[in-house]
Amino acid sequence: MAGLNREPGADTDPGAASASEAEATGTETPRSTAREAVVVDGVGKTFRAGGEPVRALDGVEFAVGEGEFVCIVGPSGCGKTTLFRVIAGLETPTDGEVRVGGRPVEGPDVDRGMVFQEYGLFPWRTVLGNVRFGLEQTDSPAASADERAREMIDLVGLSGFEDAYPAELSGGMKQRVGIARALAVDPDLLLMDEPFGSVDAQTRDRLHGELLEIWAETGKTVLFVTHDVEEAVTLADRVVVMSAGPGRVRETVDVDLDRPRARTDEAFAAHRERVLELVRES
Amino acid sequence: MPGEPSGDADGDDRDGEPAVPTDEPAATSRARTDGGTVSGAAAAESRRGPLEGVDALPLLRAVAGTAGFLLVWYAAALTQPTYLLPGPVEVAVAFYGELVARAVYTVPLAGTDAALPRLVVKLLQSLQHYLPGLLVGTVLGIALGVAMGWSGRLDEALTPVTRVLRPIPPLAWIAFAIVWIGIGHAGATFIVAIGAFWINFYNAYAGVEGVPRDLREVAASLGVHDDLAMVRKVVLPAASPEILTGIRTSIGQCWMVVVAAELFGAPGIGFQIISASQNLATDVSVVYMLVISLVFLASDWGFRRVERRVLAWRV
Repeated sequence: MAGLNREPGADTDPGAASASEAEATGTETPRSTAREAVVVDGVGKTFRAGGEPVRALDGVEFAVGEGEFVCIVGPSGCGKTTLFRVIAGLETPTDGEVRVGGRPVEGPDVDRGMVFQEYGLFPWRTVLGNVRFGLEQTDSPAASADERAREMIDLVGLSGFEDAYPAELSGGMKQRVGIARALAVDPDLLLMDEPFGSVDAQTRDRLHGELLEIWAETGKTVLFVTHDVEEAVTLADRVVVMSAGPGRVRETVDVDLDRPRARTDEAFAAHRERVLELVRES
Repeated sequence: MPGEPSGDADGDDRDGEPAVPTDEPAATSRARTDGGTVSGAAAAESRRGPLEGVDALPLLRAVAGTAGFLLVWYAAALTQPTYLLPGPVEVAVAFYGELVARAVYTVPLAGTDAALPRLVVKLLQSLQHYLPGLLVGTVLGIALGVAMGWSGRLDEALTPVTRVLRPIPPLAWIAFAIVWIGIGHAGATFIVAIGAFWINFYNAYAGVEGVPRDLREVAASLGVHDDLAMVRKVVLPAASPEILTGIRTSIGQCWMVVVAAELFGAPGIGFQIISASQNLATDVSVVYMLVISLVFLASDWGFRRVERRVLAWRV
């Protein structure tokens, strides 16, 4: 059942990144039959804050197929947010590279839509203004931008709130705006960093269902970072489990379960236990 | 029962103008506690109709406080000669006198003369260095504040200079105002501009520094790539609350600077205060002191309205 088993020995191997890199290029990534939307190729990241350099990521290696929903889980300090930022182009990797749609990532751009835990909405813009923002940066005429933005607002179920300001919305509604805004510019990849970490459990459940519907409808590739194992198993086709100190991919677990997934389901529980075990060990 | 109106006011908060509904519950609770503890009469009133008590009581207190102040002032003035402490009546008479008396105002740029009430002329003369000084200082202060808040390199290069220059009171520059440009309108304008500059610089700088990183990153992921676009579309609107606070603060502070600068001889309200007192017409001095207060209150009220409209998104 376990997906890609990245040779646990490599993790403890004191041999430098070059060794694991060579090994990684030799191993085939899973789902190599589907076109790869994201390739994380031997990514390492060292921060030099003050005195001691800190190795946040080391030899991180995995790929995401087009249209796939992949979750990244791991204990705090495993570098999953750093990895998110590297893929988003907000941090430059010290080693290796990330390719999205075959092109190396060189900075943030419209091919990767970002959704943050704290929403990152522009508070001075209305819901419509937020969703329109990315469309305004292109040459598309105002009328079509408006139409597209309204479509996206409808997609996330916020019709009727076009003229509301973010301060007037609940956390769940804010995050729907964040998702609509990211989708408006039609990115290849939706990058989400603990997007539902700030909403209550009930809202989170509802948002999970809605996100899966949107995913099915739009066919986007989704890369979703979370520390919540249950959330990951609820959503993902595959769960990438990371280990800390420095952050590496410990293992990738396939979740071949029909959606929507019931948490009481035996198979679901088995997957959850499997991932939990991996997270605990790491 | 008395809880109901305040509950309603809370509910209305969301779409109404924030200042109006938020005042109401506080006033209700104040009226209520007074009714219970202070006097039976107030309690009876709040029982009759809580809404009536809400509006009347605070207003009544304000009137009583003001009347008390005027009475004390009046009584104190009786014991002193007018030139030492002019009473409220003398001041009112002098106010009327300043409105009736005519003076000549030379319209700037046009150069034509106009005969206007003396009070208006003095006010216009003060505005003649207040407004340009405020405008120039505000624009330059915001420009440098945004630039330094945005660019780490510029910040590092200029922080030592701004740290040293900022604590110097605007009025300390008067020596240079005099030797460089003389103490007419231009000199006073210069002093006012320095005052406005630092206030706006500091607020704009802090505002830009405080713009959340998320917002810039999201904007970059949505296609904003050059610095100028980022400043215009994200940084300035995000920092607008602080920038507007800076402008409002400088609107007030610059009146203080104006008056002080005029004490050195530039024509206007401040000069009138000092020259009237030198002629022992202290009642006229008080008139102009009050004019400053009124002009400040009016401009602050006006700017608050603008601010509330611009920052409607803060809800």
